[in-house]
Amino acid sequence: MKGFLDAFEGFVGVNFWTMIFAWCNLLILYFFLRKLLFKPVKNMIDSRQKEVDDMYDEAEASRKDAAEMKAEYEEKLAHAGEESEEILKRAVRKAQLREEEILREADEKAARTLKRAQEQVELEKKRAINEVKNEVSDMALGIAAAVIERDIDKKEHEAMIDDFIRQMGEAS
Amino acid sequence: MDISVTGPKIYYTIPIFGGINITQTTVSLLVVTVLLIVLSYFLTRNLTKRPGRMQVVVEKLVSMLYGLVEDTMGKHNLKFAPYIGTLFLSSIFGTLVGMTQILRSTTADLSVTLAWALVTTALVWYNNIKNFGFLAWLKGFTEPIVVMTPMNIVSEIAQPVSMAFRHFGNVAGGSVLTALIYGALAALSSALFSWLPDVIGSVLPPVFQVGIPAFLSIYFDLFSGFVQALVFSLLTMVYVGGACPPPAEEK
Repeated sequence: MKGFLDAFEGFVGVNFWTMIFAWCNLLILYFFLRKLLFKPVKNMIDSRQKEVDDMYDEAEASRKDAAEMKAEYEEKLAHAGEESEEILKRAVRKAQLREEEILREADEKAARTLKRAQEQVELEKKRAINEVKNEVSDMALGIAAAVIERDIDKKEHEAMIDDFIRQMGEAS
Repeated sequence: MDISVTGPKIYYTIPIFGGINITQTTVSLLVVTVLLIVLSYFLTRNLTKRPGRMQVVVEKLVSMLYGLVEDTMGKHNLKFAPYIGTLFLSSIFGTLVGMTQILRSTTADLSVTLAWALVTTALVWYNNIKNFGFLAWLKGFTEPIVVMTPMNIVSEIAQPVSMAFRHFGNVAGGSVLTALIYGALAALSSALFSWLPDVIGSVLPPVFQVGIPAFLSIYFDLFSGFVQALVFSLLTMVYVGGACPPPAEEK
């Protein structure tokens, strides 16, 4: 038994069976470690990396969106100032036009009124002239009647006097 | 004081195929395999997006491995990372189990390092033939000039042999040195306490063996074990990476 336990292999030597054991162990270890250690840990690292990358991408995208929106609003605001100015200008121009129109209308109205007044004056004048004519003829008739003291045919005389006055009017 | 430098102890010989030796190395290999599988099972049992302390360490180590493989072999060769990691862990744990003094370092057995080195050579040849074609691979031996062919063949054979001996030599040499120093310290103890009566001297332990070898162990087991595992993995990466050039569009 002593001799059996004291059996050693050579210090520097190759035992083919030990090599086979080494290969088997290496192969078994390779499959187990790959399945248990390297693959799952690597996958975990990769998936976490991917998640972080995604998060950063998302944040970057949101930031870009916000910046775009901000630029858009700023532009709109600047535009709004311009627009209001434009509206104001247009309103002022419109008001000016309206003012001119009102003035013109007033002028026209005044002119019209004046004209009508003048016409009326003319008419009154004519009427007054006619009245004067009638009175003058009546007076002439009365005077003539008094002069000749004779009742003459009034109608005939009136026509006569009218003719006379018209001739006078045409002459004057 | 006798100091014997021996290979792995043979526990049992299976009496088939001319005798299969179950040695210390065989047992150590099995222990390392089981230990690593159990460790990785427990370390990666509850992987979460928000890692705990243990997961941070494991993730850091795994990403370091992938980073090293990417730096050495290129992004297109990341599929080799699990094998490189397995090789590295097998090597470093194989060396470290020797520190238990019960088990023998697996890497202190030339059979193991030679087996691993031959896997590297097989990967190199396989990928060379796959990527360049059998004839181009054969033709590679005649470059840069035909006269170099014998040299190239020798260097091709020397590659796994040198890898295997480098790793084996470092670990086994370390263990031999440790054994020698233990012997020397025991001799020193008995020399210094030889004036004591035999009764006391025979029960007094070799006190100088306490403490001093621990510092040597830091170098021979921890440092050398780590460096040799790294060197072996790096050489594998370089050789296999050379056989797997980047795809044409990446050039």
